[in-house]
Amino acid sequence: MKIRIADLTRIYRLGSSEITAVDKASLEIDEAKFMAIVGPSGSGKSTLLNLVGLNDYPTSGKIFIDDADVSLLSSGERRKIRLFRMGFVFQTFNLLPTLNALENVELSMALAGKPRREQREKALRLLEAVGLSDRLFHRPKELSIGEMQRVAIARALANDPEMIIADEPTGELDSKTAKEIIALLLGINRREKTTVVMATHDEKIVDAADTIYTIQDGKLKPKV
Amino acid sequence: MRTILCITGVALATTFVIAVGATTMRYTTVIKEMNVLFSGQIMVVSKDTIVIQAIPITRGSFPESLADEIKGNIKEVDEAVPVLFITSINFENVLQPVPPNFTLGIPVEQWRMMLGSTPLRGNVGRFPINESSNEVVIGPSLADQYDWTVGTRINVTDYELEIVGILDTRLALLNRCVVMPLKLAQKIYNYPNSANVITVKPLQGYSQKNLTESIENQIPYVSALTEDERNDMVQPILAQVETWNLGIQTVVFIMSLILVMTVTLMSVSERRRDFATLDAIGAPLSHVFRLVILETSLIGFLGGALGIFSGSLAALVLASLYTSIPLAQFFPSIFEIVPPLYMLEIFAAIVVVCCVGGVVPAINAMRMRIAEVLRAEY
Repeated sequence: MKIRIADLTRIYRLGSSEITAVDKASLEIDEAKFMAIVGPSGSGKSTLLNLVGLNDYPTSGKIFIDDADVSLLSSGERRKIRLFRMGFVFQTFNLLPTLNALENVELSMALAGKPRREQREKALRLLEAVGLSDRLFHRPKELSIGEMQRVAIARALANDPEMIIADEPTGELDSKTAKEIIALLLGINRREKTTVVMATHDEKIVDAADTIYTIQDGKLKPKV
Repeated sequence: MRTILCITGVALATTFVIAVGATTMRYTTVIKEMNVLFSGQIMVVSKDTIVIQAIPITRGSFPESLADEIKGNIKEVDEAVPVLFITSINFENVLQPVPPNFTLGIPVEQWRMMLGSTPLRGNVGRFPINESSNEVVIGPSLADQYDWTVGTRINVTDYELEIVGILDTRLALLNRCVVMPLKLAQKIYNYPNSANVITVKPLQGYSQKNLTESIENQIPYVSALTEDERNDMVQPILAQVETWNLGIQTVVFIMSLILVMTVTLMSVSERRRDFATLDAIGAPLSHVFRLVILETSLIGFLGGALGIFSGSLAALVLASLYTSIPLAQFFPSIFEIVPPLYMLEIFAAIVVVCCVGGVVPAINAMRMRIAEVLRAEY
C-alpha cells in the first residue's frame, strides 16, 4: 500500500478558538517501508496518524491510497479499508477487556467475515509468533503491559494488512519491552513487507526506521 | 452490579405487570363467565337490586310463587324458575374480600335448566332428588380445598348437609358453588317461601326485550334484565378495568424503557474506548448496533423470565389472599390464573421494550470515534 498526503490540515474548533493540530502536512509512504513520525506530546502525531489511518476527516488537503483520492470516501468505504488493508496498534493497547487474548485477535477476522476455524488457526499462529502461546486464554487485565501490546500487534496482523499504523506503541512500556516491541514491528516489516507507520516521541527507538519525519506544532518535516 | 440491578428492575416491572394483569384478567373472566349459566334467559330481580351479570349482590327478595305468576300470566314465557342465590358461606370465619363461595338454591326438578349438562366428577353420585332433603352438590374447588367427597357431611349455619355429588366443571362460579334444593336453601338462609332471582326462558321466537317490558309492566316491583342488558351493565366497568390495566402496563413499560436506556447509556459511555476501538479496526456500524441491542435484549430475556416466574407466584398469592383459598390449591391451575399466552405476550413485550431502550445507546455507541475518544482522554 502506498499512501500520499498533500497539504493535509486538521483544525479543531473549541468554542470560539481554533487549534491547528496538523498544518499543511505532505508526505509519501512507500510500500514495505518503516516510517517513524517523531515529535513531543501534543505536536499532532496522533492526529496525523488518525488522518492517515482514515479514522478522521481532514479540514483540508488530500489523502491518496495507491494514487486514489480517499479524502472524501464514505465512512463505510473507509471502514472497509481499515478492516481489510490496515492494522492499528495503539499506545494504550485498546484490547477489549471482556475478551481473552485469543478472542481479541479473532475479533478482527470475525468482523472481516472469515470462517470460525480459520480465525482460530490464524489467531493461534499469530499469538505464537508474538510469543504468547501460553497466554491465549488470559484476559487483558491478567496480562502484563508488554503482553497486551503483543496481543494488540497480533490483532493488527490478523487480516494480513498492507500497512500497520502504530500510535506510540511503546509509550506505556519500559525501555526493554519497548525495544522488543520495536523489534517485533521491524521484523514484520522486513519479513512480511508490511508498511509500518509509527508515531513516537522517543527519538532513540527510531534508528531502525527507513524514513523519519518530525512534527512540531502540527508542521511536518522530513528529518535530515 | 449495575446490570444486575437493571435486570432486577426489569424483573420487578414484569412481576408487577403479570401480577396486576393476571389478577384483573381473572376477575373480569369470572364476571364474564357468570352470564354463561343464564345464557338466553331473562333475570328477574327486585327493583333496585344491584346485579353483576347474573348475580344479585344486594338483598331483595319476593315470593317464590311469583315464578308461577309470571309463567301463568305472560304468554311468551316458556319457563320461570325461582332461585335463591346467596354469596359467601363463611366456613372458617375468615375475612374474605372476594366471595370465596356461593349457594344456589334451585327447585330439584329444574336442575337441568340451571346447570345445563354439567357432569358429576368421576360420574360418581347424583343430583338431589327430594326438595325437602338435606342433600347438596358442590363445586370441585370446594371439594379439593376441604377434602370433601361424596358422602361427606358438612355443617352450614347449624344444618348438617350431605354431599351427594361433586360437579365436574372449570367455570369459576360453579367451581366454588354449593347447589342445593330451593326449599333447603330457604330454610338454611331464612328466606321462607322466597327467592331473590327468577330466571325466565322465553318461548322460542319471542324477543327477550319485549318479554322484559311485559314483566316489568305487569309486576312493578321487579326489574327484568335481558342477557344483553346484563352485559351492558357490566361492560363499561370491565372496559374501565381493562383500560386502567393497559394504562398501568404502559407506564410500567415506559419506566422499564427509561431504566434500560439510562443504564445502557452509562454503560456505553464507560466503554466508549471499546466502541471507538471497534470503529477504528473497521467494525461495521451494524455490528456495533447489534452488540448493544443484544445486551439490552439479554437484560429483557433475563428480567422478563425472572419477572414472569415471580409475577405468576404473586398472582397466585393475590388470588389466595383475596379468596382465603389455600395457596397450594392454586398451583395446579397456575396456567388458568396466568394463561401461557399472557405470559408470552408480556415476555415478548418486555424484550421488545428492552430492545427499544437500547436503540439510543446503540446509536451513541455507533458514533464513538477513536480520534475523539483519544483526544478527550489526553
